[in-house]
Amino acid sequence: MKELDLLKKDWQKDDHSFEQVSEIEIYKMIHKKSSSIVKWILIISILEVLLWTCLSVCFDSDEYLEKIQHSEFIPYFEVLNYANYAVILVFIYLFYKNYILISTTASTKQLMKDILKTRKTVQYYVWYNLAMLVFSLIIGFIIAFVYNPEMEVLKEKIAENNKVMAITIGILLLISLLLFGLLWLFYRLLYGILLRRLYVNYKELKKIDL
Amino acid sequence: MSENLEQSFVKQLQENQNIIHKICRLYTNGDDAHKDLFQEITIQLWKAFPKFRGDSKFSTWAYRVALNTAITLYRKTKRSIYTIEFEGRQHFLNDVEYDYEEEEQLKLMYKAVYQLNDIEKALIFMYLEDKDYHEIAETLGISEVNARVKMNRIKGKLKKILNPLGI
Repeated sequence: MKELDLLKKDWQKDDHSFEQVSEIEIYKMIHKKSSSIVKWILIISILEVLLWTCLSVCFDSDEYLEKIQHSEFIPYFEVLNYANYAVILVFIYLFYKNYILISTTASTKQLMKDILKTRKTVQYYVWYNLAMLVFSLIIGFIIAFVYNPEMEVLKEKIAENNKVMAITIGILLLISLLLFGLLWLFYRLLYGILLRRLYVNYKELKKIDL
Repeated sequence: MSENLEQSFVKQLQENQNIIHKICRLYTNGDDAHKDLFQEITIQLWKAFPKFRGDSKFSTWAYRVALNTAITLYRKTKRSIYTIEFEGRQHFLNDVEYDYEEEEQLKLMYKAVYQLNDIEKALIFMYLEDKDYHEIAETLGISEVNARVKMNRIKGKLKKILNPLGI
């Protein structure tokens, strides 16, 4: 291709058409903060992990169980709690391990893979927490329904009328769906903006290598 | 990090800065975006510098980090039409070898290259820098055969952009 040869010739002419950056300017640059997407992904991921860890630590079930006078459940919840901490620790370790793997000296494809892998780990962590949330909601509901004396009125009503049962379940479902939808939208927006270009380029590279 | 390391880095980068400028020219438009990407690449190079053992040339090592930054890490702030920069890039009229037709062709060619996607730009960049397919493949993380096939496709694409009717 004649034009390409022409371009190559012109390209390699070191014609100093670029404004040269001085050594002092380079010194200044290397002390500035990076704005790379990895940094943002890291910051957001840490916030996510913190948020979910906080939620699971702050939620105190013991008090509630004592209030409804069924403290015999407390040991079960304790086991569940410790298991939960173990899982959190494993996730944090995996997340950190993935993060330090990210290196600009790897091949472009590997670098993209590593970034996406880090992201995936945090995503799994969020899904895990959501699953735990749903699980706790169900357990909480069952305990409340079966053991909480305050629920007697509702129980009587349900026994009288099937409609009330349907409405109760409907409302619960609606709230859960709404929560899920909001969270999903939030993640789509957040990471959509950050990772869109990376995904596009990753797909392109994978296409080449088929 | 020690001051010696910093000194050696700054010196080598200063000498090799045209590599980075060329990548910035390919991946950005406008002075601000160019400076922005230049700075981000410099930071990434500095962060990776302790791992640079000197068994390859500084420039070879810098290609990879710089391209990775441009393709993967850098977030473009705004997208606008790609043609502005090269219009303003003029050769001196008193150049003995100045050839109007060639100059026109070059301009069109730069414009065509600008229309390629990020990955294609990386391939073309390394081709223009006279890298062999082995190095191109290794940098991008694809096989040599596929790099070759892709390069041929890019050439076809460029031809099409230059001459859409195929006359």
